[in-house]
Amino acid sequence: MTEQLSPGTVPRHGLRLPWARLGLAALGAVLVLFVVGPLLRLLFLATPQGLADGFRDPELQASIALTVAAASVATMLAVVFGLPLAYLLARRRFRGRRLVQALIELPVVIPHPVAGIALLLFLGRRSAVGGALADIGLEVVSHAPGIVAAMLFVSAPILVSGAREAFAGVDPRLERVARTLGDTPWLAFRRVTLPLAGRGILAGAILAWARSVSEFGAIVILTYNPKVASILIYDRFTTQGLPAAVPAALVLLLVALAVFGLVRWLQPEEPR
Amino acid sequence: MIRLEGLAVRVGEFDLRDISFEVPAGGYGLIIGPTGSGKTTLLEAVAGHNPVRAGRIRLHDEDVTDLPPERRGIGFVYQRYYLFPQLSVRENIRYGLARGPLGMGAQQERVAELADLLSISDLLDRGISGLSGGETQRVALARALAPRPSILLLDEPFAAVDPTTRHMLRRELRALHEREHITTLQVTHDFDEALRLGDLVAVLADGRIAQQGRPDEVFRYPNSAFVARFIGTGTVLSGTVKRLTASDHAPFAAHFTSGPLTFEVIAEREGPAHAVLRSEDLLLSREVQPTSARNHFPAVVRQVERLGPLTYVHLDAGRLLTAAVTSASCEALGIAQGVHIVVTVKATAIHLV
Repeated sequence: MTEQLSPGTVPRHGLRLPWARLGLAALGAVLVLFVVGPLLRLLFLATPQGLADGFRDPELQASIALTVAAASVATMLAVVFGLPLAYLLARRRFRGRRLVQALIELPVVIPHPVAGIALLLFLGRRSAVGGALADIGLEVVSHAPGIVAAMLFVSAPILVSGAREAFAGVDPRLERVARTLGDTPWLAFRRVTLPLAGRGILAGAILAWARSVSEFGAIVILTYNPKVASILIYDRFTTQGLPAAVPAALVLLLVALAVFGLVRWLQPEEPR
Repeated sequence: MIRLEGLAVRVGEFDLRDISFEVPAGGYGLIIGPTGSGKTTLLEAVAGHNPVRAGRIRLHDEDVTDLPPERRGIGFVYQRYYLFPQLSVRENIRYGLARGPLGMGAQQERVAELADLLSISDLLDRGISGLSGGETQRVALARALAPRPSILLLDEPFAAVDPTTRHMLRRELRALHEREHITTLQVTHDFDEALRLGDLVAVLADGRIAQQGRPDEVFRYPNSAFVARFIGTGTVLSGTVKRLTASDHAPFAAHFTSGPLTFEVIAEREGPAHAVLRSEDLLLSREVQPTSARNHFPAVVRQVERLGPLTYVHLDAGRLLTAAVTSASCEALGIAQGVHIVVTVKATAIHLV
């Protein structure tokens, strides 16, 4: 039997026992149902009328607009400051590269309320940085910039690692060929590396954006008001109960699903 | 002209030192060396991708050592070609023209001319996935030649194609080289390629040039056991040279002894040495032949390797030797595994290093 094996696949004849296969499938199904079940339960509550009401609710509208705007600004900042870093991490072997890489991934393991408290101490009016920002008229804590700061903190690692992988996937010799064909380093980057890494970078940016939209823990400490969507849902749940929170939750879920679909479509197919 | 003067380059584990080599204008030079001897590193240094620690690089009398790759006027073809996957065949070839002085019409004309020259005209509007190895190689070559570089650098350009395509591409490349008069430097691990293509060859070993010269000269007169073994000149034996005459003048008649074997040789100096016995200089017969050759010794055939018109006979004469005979005389002599045979070699045919 000459079966082509790719890494990570189990040879088919390795699982000939039907009971073993059935057992594995059953265990897997439990987890899949556990993830899908609650989301389906929430989606089943959606009626055209209920959704229309949700989208017409002015407070929810404002909150979603604020969330989308803040997430977009945070993603743009992550792109502006993160892309050069991702390129350096992918291409150059410099002293402290591993340290920088570890530092930029740190937010992933920090509980988000902890991140919120750290940001509050760093950007609060009484801190050096927060004070300086306030002096130039940029109020962070309890204002929209606080939301952006919290979103940037939790989503930057996603963008940087996505872009780093995308850059690393482009063979540097393609750039070298472009150089011998007359390109300056910048032109070679723009004509070869960026187009080839583009899909991966875009996927990373969308994931970072989605992470920002779903952020709660750090924002709730830094800027409770004005309320982003996740905080509005929490606020309605605690003050008015479950039925009041559901329409907002549904709208946010639909936005998240749309983004998820977009990212799956952008990501290159896994090799079979 | 490509002139490397005492070049030193270090990239990662590769440490190239004291590389001096010159390919005259319009010439075809080859650098050969085993895998991992730093050939690609050297070529990339000439292209300007690797920083030079010492020495100078001159291209057509211009010192380009401190110039970036885009200002050196070179074309570069890698072993794995590195076509731009997001572009069509046409766009790949046009890449180096797009920002040059030519208008769109002239660019398309140049692309069509090269495509015609390399027989890839019907591929122009295809993407690059699905091209065969030979097609990919032609596209890479067309892309490198499009901006009319004065220097062409080739990194093992035939390593990734099948033997038939390789022979064809070699002939075409040689013809192209003669037509465009482009000074070419190629690296390869295949000495056969040097014999077929090059005007000049340098053998790279341990980050230095072990020998350079015309390919047939290097092949006939390797200057070290390493070079002889690497380019496959023949059997290399280590042993000792002992003078036979009282005369002080070199060269002198001498004995070369390697284990149980002793040959009469013409030597320049005494002491430890290596003898290179070219396969085609070993004559095989059933009995000792009445010739002027001084060296006859018995051997047993260990293995017979038929390669078309030529047959390689591996012999045990106390030392392992390889002889090359025509397949016809191999038949006539009845050479087969286990057969006892007489080996004859002229003293002047043994090259001492």
